[in-house]
Amino acid sequence: MSDDPRHAPRAGHGRAPDVFRPGAWVPMREYGEDEAVDFVIVGTGAGGGTLACKLAEHGFSVVAMDAGPYFRPLEDFASDEAEQSKLYWTDDRISTGENPIQLGSNNSGKAVGGSTVHFAMVSLRFRPEWFKSRTLLGYGFDWPLDWQEMWHYYHEVEEALKIAGPITYPWGPPRPRYPYRAHPLNAAAMALAKGCEAMGVAWTETPIATLSAPRGLAHPCVYRGFCVTGCSTNAKQSALVTWIPRAIAAGAEIRDLAMVGRVETGPDGLATGVHYHREGRWRFQKARNVVVAGYSIETPRLLLNSATARYPQGLANSSGLVGKYLMVQANQAVWGKMEAEVRSYKAPPSLAITEHWNYDDNKDFFGGYCYMSQGPLPQLWANTQINAHGLWGEPLMQEMQDYNHQVGLKIVGEMLPQERNGVTLAEDKDQYGLPVPRVSYSWCDNDKALIAHSLGFMEKALGAIDATDIWRQEDDTCHLNGGARMGGDPRTSVVDADCRSWDIRNLWICDGSVFPTVGGVNPSLTIQAIACRTGDRIKQMATRGEL
Amino acid sequence: MKTKQAGLGLLGSLALGAIGIALFGREREAFPPRRQLPDRLALPLPDQRGAERLRGLRRGDTPRSPFQRWLGLPSSPAVSRAARVRAARRLNRSAGLLATSVLLDSALEHYRGSFRNPAMYTPLGVSALSLAASLHGTGDPRSGRHPFRSALYAAAAVTGIVGTGFHIYNITRRPGGFVWQNLFYGAPLGAPMAISLAGLMGSAAEHVRDDRPGTAPRVFGLPAGRMLAAMAGGGILGTVGEAGLLHFRGAFHNPAMFLPVTMPPVAAALLLNTAAAPARRDRWLTRWWLRLTALLGFAGVGFHAYGVQRNMGGWRNWSQNVLNGPPLPAPPSFTGLALAGLAALDLLEDEPDA
Repeated sequence: MSDDPRHAPRAGHGRAPDVFRPGAWVPMREYGEDEAVDFVIVGTGAGGGTLACKLAEHGFSVVAMDAGPYFRPLEDFASDEAEQSKLYWTDDRISTGENPIQLGSNNSGKAVGGSTVHFAMVSLRFRPEWFKSRTLLGYGFDWPLDWQEMWHYYHEVEEALKIAGPITYPWGPPRPRYPYRAHPLNAAAMALAKGCEAMGVAWTETPIATLSAPRGLAHPCVYRGFCVTGCSTNAKQSALVTWIPRAIAAGAEIRDLAMVGRVETGPDGLATGVHYHREGRWRFQKARNVVVAGYSIETPRLLLNSATARYPQGLANSSGLVGKYLMVQANQAVWGKMEAEVRSYKAPPSLAITEHWNYDDNKDFFGGYCYMSQGPLPQLWANTQINAHGLWGEPLMQEMQDYNHQVGLKIVGEMLPQERNGVTLAEDKDQYGLPVPRVSYSWCDNDKALIAHSLGFMEKALGAIDATDIWRQEDDTCHLNGGARMGGDPRTSVVDADCRSWDIRNLWICDGSVFPTVGGVNPSLTIQAIACRTGDRIKQMATRGEL
Repeated sequence: MKTKQAGLGLLGSLALGAIGIALFGREREAFPPRRQLPDRLALPLPDQRGAERLRGLRRGDTPRSPFQRWLGLPSSPAVSRAARVRAARRLNRSAGLLATSVLLDSALEHYRGSFRNPAMYTPLGVSALSLAASLHGTGDPRSGRHPFRSALYAAAAVTGIVGTGFHIYNITRRPGGFVWQNLFYGAPLGAPMAISLAGLMGSAAEHVRDDRPGTAPRVFGLPAGRMLAAMAGGGILGTVGEAGLLHFRGAFHNPAMFLPVTMPPVAAALLLNTAAAPARRDRWLTRWWLRLTALLGFAGVGFHAYGVQRNMGGWRNWSQNVLNGPPLPAPPSFTGLALAGLAALDLLEDEPDA
């Protein structure tokens, strides 16, 4: 039998891979398909993996399914960008709109642990005002969550992931000390710091989910630099090595290579379980509650594809908002060359950050952005040169000679929620016979104004540290959010503050798709904080008999 | 595997502790116990404690120095030449331990920094020479200051001060200047003072050894025992600061990391009390606490060896992890300083007001 986790499931027969010990296994509880488990969770990333852990630790029976393989980071991850593209969700999707999104590397993941297996680990808190951005800042939508409660859950996640961050954070209300100290800055981060000092704005070490000191069997970061293609030392605190081992220890079952195609609903309109494809055939798992945590494309796709005569628009979609108000984040960059070697690919790519423009409201557009130092791996950098400058052959070879001298700044910028941006089902079918999602995206004028502002500012910052050959990369986007947003009114939102769908009380959505607005920071910490909160709320509701 | 690793670390610590105990054991062989000094010493010394006693060079015989008057300390007695040489050799030994720690630590850290500045070779040379001087002094039974050793120790003391200047410069030129990032990862501020301490201890050894009949041993114009106790206490506090900063950088992820910021400060307090308080014959608590601190210095190497194991590849990848993990040579600084404190205690217990 092949040991390739992409061909045969690894979890099963009462055991799951031990991600910390080569070749070893941990015992795993298993549930029968006819046995209605308390929760079946679709997806094991930042939302699903976290919630699986919380619910299992609260004593619920949990089966969490992921369409992707169960990797062993110490054995399965190569220092090779092409090989590691196996971590991305590269199934067929149609991308349209005025500014079609490039899908794959920085906005998807197909593995147990989801895209946290290859995320850039940047773990930032929302600016408190963003939870009420309509009321306080005049754009987007208000969240039904209170920022102070979220502050509490952010702390829980930061502790769970042993985030390495600065002693004092320059922006926003006080936060508790990060559990681990910040990493040493690499030369690329130093360049950001010098640029910020020249521009007179604050900078700090990026709070990041990779260990700066040992933790249990996980090693501290060795600054190998292949973070966004999968960490082979377990320093990266992905869901795969944090929440999921905890979930299994607490009695949850993980099913890898299990693609859920449809949520089943019964005559009473409630969810009864999920149809999933594993080991060559479709199966059905009974469940008392279904949690959809497939991220902003797969979650709406699954809900839409589960339409019945009773729910002709798809599940949880009486508002018509499932698949609407999808948001990406602006991910534009400015690049230049330094006289001295930078070797920006060493260490995690984004070690220094400025959130100045997230907290300064003196600008002519809504929303904010942060920007971070960059460390593109060589193949990505060659691709960037090909796409941006059309270089090929000898000119590309020449340009790559300067790879060690490249320095760059890249934003994570807030794009506004628009109804026209979203996910629908296409006619085409994928390898499971399921309708392919069509993803449509267009920037609005505010998005363009934000991007222009950021590019201008970063260009000055690079100029201030004597970088040469400065150029703008204007086309990139990252992170997906929205598509099944939360809110306080069933007519204008899909789920409530507890991630419970308004229409079907035993159907939950717990991932980035519940975001009403996206903010100007990487979303993973907020997704996990919401999952932690949801786990606690479900326990409270169960205690009161409200499930 | 975690328990196995912890077991290995514990075994390593115990083994190193045993070496430390063996060292103390050897001390007893080389230097007979204080209160049972035989009439004829094993060390070939020209005059004896008893002879000095007969000459009446006792407490109160030497005039108080301005420092002593200013500090309100009683006048110092003369100490026998044998006791002085014994104390001096102990100080040479502690200077040697400190120099060894500096030699290995600066070699490791400056190699890690690729010797980017040629000045980064200086502490290696100076600490190696201090180590040589200390070995020579430890084996030297003669009384009287040795000019070469004195010069080398003085050079070591100056090197540490100049090195601190270099390290401050390194920190200020990094973005942000004196911020935690640079205190954690820039040139370590406190490290160069370790070689100054080695130089000071060595210089003190030479002072104490510099026997002039009829005078009390003095270091830099102050009674030697008290002065040494103060120096060792201050040195321990500085080292605690360094260990505290770096263990804070490591987020005290292992509870054992609290040991060097809790145990040695007590030793330092006891030493400072010894330096300032009225003379007392039996400072058993100070003595035992210093012995424990000396052992902790050795045990620290074991803990750090375990820390190296916890990095990717562990000891199989030693060439990277010895550089990347916790510094193996750093903890014995505590041992060197604790031994200096014990030497000071010996001076004081031989003659309570030295």
